[in-house]
Amino acid sequence: MRARTISSTEFDRLMDPSAATWKQAGAERVKLEGSPLGMQPTALIRAAWQDRKIGAIDRVQIAALHDGERLAFRLEWSDPTENRGNADNVDFPDGVAVLLPAVQGAPIVTMGAPGNAVNAWYWRADDDTNVRHVVAEGIGTSRTVSVEAGLARGAWKEGRWQVVIARALRVETVDPVAQLQAGETTGIGVAIWDGGSGERAGIKSISGLQWRKLSLDALPTARR
Amino acid sequence: MTESKRQLAMVMDLNKCIGCQTCTIACKRLWTRDEGMEYMWWNSVNTQPGRGTPRDWEDMGGGFREGNAVPGKLPTRKDFGDAWEFNHEEVFFGGKGDKVHLKVKGEEPEWGPNWDEDQGAGEYPNAYYFYLPRICNHCTHPACLEACPRKAIVKREEDGIVLIDEDRCRGYRFCMEACPYKKIYFNHVEKVSQKCIFCFPRVEQGVANACARQCPGRVRFLGYRDDKNAPIWKLVDKWKVAIPLHPEYGTDANVFYVPPLAPPRFDENGEIDESNPRIPNEYLVSLFGPKVLESLEILKGEMAKTRAGGKSELLDLLIAYRWKDMFGGFDRDPATIEWKKA
Repeated sequence: MRARTISSTEFDRLMDPSAATWKQAGAERVKLEGSPLGMQPTALIRAAWQDRKIGAIDRVQIAALHDGERLAFRLEWSDPTENRGNADNVDFPDGVAVLLPAVQGAPIVTMGAPGNAVNAWYWRADDDTNVRHVVAEGIGTSRTVSVEAGLARGAWKEGRWQVVIARALRVETVDPVAQLQAGETTGIGVAIWDGGSGERAGIKSISGLQWRKLSLDALPTARR
Repeated sequence: MTESKRQLAMVMDLNKCIGCQTCTIACKRLWTRDEGMEYMWWNSVNTQPGRGTPRDWEDMGGGFREGNAVPGKLPTRKDFGDAWEFNHEEVFFGGKGDKVHLKVKGEEPEWGPNWDEDQGAGEYPNAYYFYLPRICNHCTHPACLEACPRKAIVKREEDGIVLIDEDRCRGYRFCMEACPYKKIYFNHVEKVSQKCIFCFPRVEQGVANACARQCPGRVRFLGYRDDKNAPIWKLVDKWKVAIPLHPEYGTDANVFYVPPLAPPRFDENGEIDESNPRIPNEYLVSLFGPKVLESLEILKGEMAKTRAGGKSELLDLLIAYRWKDMFGGFDRDPATIEWKKA
């Protein structure tokens, strides 16, 4: 997929998922599949899900825009139930994450590997103005790192989630997060959790076991 | 699989438990008073036969069968009995004390953590019940630990205490599904799972668990499983009168119970009838497995011995003449320590 450029002024409006500016982005429809049962890290999870459908959400529309400093994703998908809470023990929130390699060549299938981190920009409906920055170097190793300049907004309307997740292209941190720049091509993966179906952790819809391509348009010459 | 070098364990003598809930309150006051913990009772005491806490927990799955993880259900807050809110303000401070009575706010509760107290089973004059106190079993083969995709649960090498690392926990609740004893709670404010910590900050200072030390009935023994001078080894291994609850769950629980004896039955003429026990054997076997019958025979044998004027090490141990001897060396007075909240 392609992240087109827009001006910084226009970028400022993108945090509203219904902003007209998003129409310029050229959203791409991505098919999702359930994460494989065999990849689930514990016997209990495999036993509990062997006869249940993993991956309740089967497609997402994803768009991306950047202004040379910041990158925003807009994700929209159909979900008849709005699950925001953890109010009861059986309630799980809806969520979405965009996964990027922090190190080129990091494996997506295993959520990274030691020394080859992947970086998720993770939004969850129980905390809908925050983007959690997650770093993983293998299944079960994910940890939240504090990165400033991450923003998110989510809204559920008429059976659809619309979520915007944004971050500065480059951030100052010692943690292995994705550092991006205009004109670059990298990998991308998407995961969506349907809380109403009990999806959490590795039980989710994913965009596949391979990285998809994400190309950030170069800046117009005048702005370089 | 984590193997601990030593294992702390507890024995609860069900013949002495009077269901007073002092253990429950001792634990509540000490550990579960923060927001999101209102409905938590890391220690609970239920009347048996009964549906237990959470309601019908024995039908919720979890644990292992032939070594394989068994899927389980998540108990709801209502299943646990939830935390009722009362109209204290109105009754005590609203100037309406003579008109308004104390009651639960909102919806009338349909269940509570001790809802079927003292109902028991059987018909007069042969009714029966006993109390079953429960905490986390700090299992040798913890289903919760194995179920967690984040390795957020640890079994301590030095003493076998099972703890949830709240920094690693993401509140996924696979541990709650996996625990066959349903002794894990989800904190919906902190969004992490929480459970009995075997009072590890006390134990580390040589102080017995609050539930054990506060028990007025001298029900609870504490100690290392392998300490031959401590009561645990004597009751579990030497005398074989203390057995785990639901051994078929396959987790190797480290809380053991001395099973309950009961007065004899009466026959239809009102005569004592010793041909059958008052608490049906099948019921006890359903809780503790077939070994419970051997344990009861040993207890009866020792009781007969003392009735005939003999001495019994086992009964002396169970009577717990010296309170401090119950704690396997963990008998330090907590008042001698300056405690600091972390």
